[in-house]
Amino acid sequence: MIELIHASKRYPNGVNALNDINLKIDQGEFVYIIGPTGSGKSTLIKLLDGEEIPSSGTVNVVGINVGKLRHSKVPLYRRNIGVVFQDYRLLPRKTVFENIAYALEVIGMRKDMIRLRVRQVMNLVGLDDKGNSFPSELSGGQQQRVAIARAIANKPKVLIADEPTGNLDPAMSDEIMALLQKINREEQTTIVMVTHDLPLVNKHKKRTIVLEEGHIVADLQQGGYVQHD
Amino acid sequence: MISRFFRPIKEGFYGVGRHAAMSISSASAVTITLLIISIFLIFSFNLQQFTKDVEQSVQIAVMIDYAYEEQSQMDKIGIDIGNIEGVNEVKFSSKEDEFQYYLDGFEDEAQKEVFEPFREDNPMHNAYYVSVEDGSNLKVVADQIAQIEGVDSIDYGGESAVVLVNALNSIRTGGGILAGALSLLAIFLIQNTIKLTIFARSDEIAIMRNVGAKNGFIRSPFLIEGIIIGILGSIIPIMLSVFGYIYLYRIMDGVIISKMFVMIPPHPFVLKIGGILLLIGMAVGLVGSFFSVNKYLRWKR
Repeated sequence: MIELIHASKRYPNGVNALNDINLKIDQGEFVYIIGPTGSGKSTLIKLLDGEEIPSSGTVNVVGINVGKLRHSKVPLYRRNIGVVFQDYRLLPRKTVFENIAYALEVIGMRKDMIRLRVRQVMNLVGLDDKGNSFPSELSGGQQQRVAIARAIANKPKVLIADEPTGNLDPAMSDEIMALLQKINREEQTTIVMVTHDLPLVNKHKKRTIVLEEGHIVADLQQGGYVQHD
Repeated sequence: MISRFFRPIKEGFYGVGRHAAMSISSASAVTITLLIISIFLIFSFNLQQFTKDVEQSVQIAVMIDYAYEEQSQMDKIGIDIGNIEGVNEVKFSSKEDEFQYYLDGFEDEAQKEVFEPFREDNPMHNAYYVSVEDGSNLKVVADQIAQIEGVDSIDYGGESAVVLVNALNSIRTGGGILAGALSLLAIFLIQNTIKLTIFARSDEIAIMRNVGAKNGFIRSPFLIEGIIIGILGSIIPIMLSVFGYIYLYRIMDGVIISKMFVMIPPHPFVLKIGGILLLIGMAVGLVGSFFSVNKYLRWKR
């Protein structure tokens, strides 16, 4: 499903963000990627969603060589994956309903089907009554749930979440985690979640990949992580 | 299918509405530019009209030698003149016509009587009146006509006619260059304004790409928005130039300085100007947003 083979990323300013990463994630897995600031977590996400091109090696997601995509083809690739960002990235001038519907409009889905699916995912994330609100009228947790609803609306095979609980308090974080696990279970979506929220990782144990200075230093299948200084 | 066609239009209108302040600032840049362009348009169309009038009134009078008064000889001269490059129209005037024209020049009946006996022994030449396509060619064409066998003499108002035509032509060329440069400057200005308005929305464009929108899908509402802004910006210049020109025409009595410079009548001229301004406004809005959106589409992968 997701496979990185000898993937490295070196930015033009000389920073080696990722070094020779080999990683395989199977269909239906739920994987945490953790590590301190500057360990290359964000770069890994950017390689996966096509925002950055690996300096060497290959990145394969759902059978597509992401690093070789042309600029104009990147959006087409992104229809196979859903991405949730720490800062939500909702369109500020569209309502909740419109934000979620937009991801379906772009793939040319019929109006009535869009309405049906948007209601479905709004129900799934527990925001049935917020359809006409604008993002600025919602709490952080609610906005993140809208972003998750948008990301899963077109039933992607992979959901990538970049610190989805980064701006939320622990109670909210648990809610989001419960939601992600529900999506993983009910829609068979592969989930890759980048986080530095260690209590969360230890509470909801999943396969955990630890990054440090651009290297994978641990890949714990049984999950849980004790920080060693 | 229908919704695919109407979506960008609908979104374009929403975009203008939801970014009202930005839209107004872009539209006013269009307005100012179009005002200047409209003045240039009206000026240069009128100048073009003056020049055409003058050029049409300037013609070469060709007098045919008395020894070439056979019809076949005169026809040959006419054909030879017509074959010269740059000749627009050749009109024949017989010596009888010329005599009558000469007599008509006198207001006093008595004086006409004096010349009446000459009608039998007509001293006039058969003549051709030649108009040229381009007034600045006047002298060249006239010189060539003078070479034709059987031409007694030519008269084209001499150097002064050439100077006038050349002067008008160079004013027209200069005006054209100035208007062209001004339009380029305008597009640059408007493009910058639109770029600023879209810059505020570069995040929006990045998000659209994030959720899988193709470039064309993102671009089309912005293009419609640009066209709408162009139309909004052209309303005031169109109104001003239509009613302004009609008013100007009325108070100037249709002429500038003297009867020699006749203004173009307002109808349908003002409609033409209005249409051109509308088209320029739409085109500038479209081109401006096209370049600006493209820039921000490339901002992130």
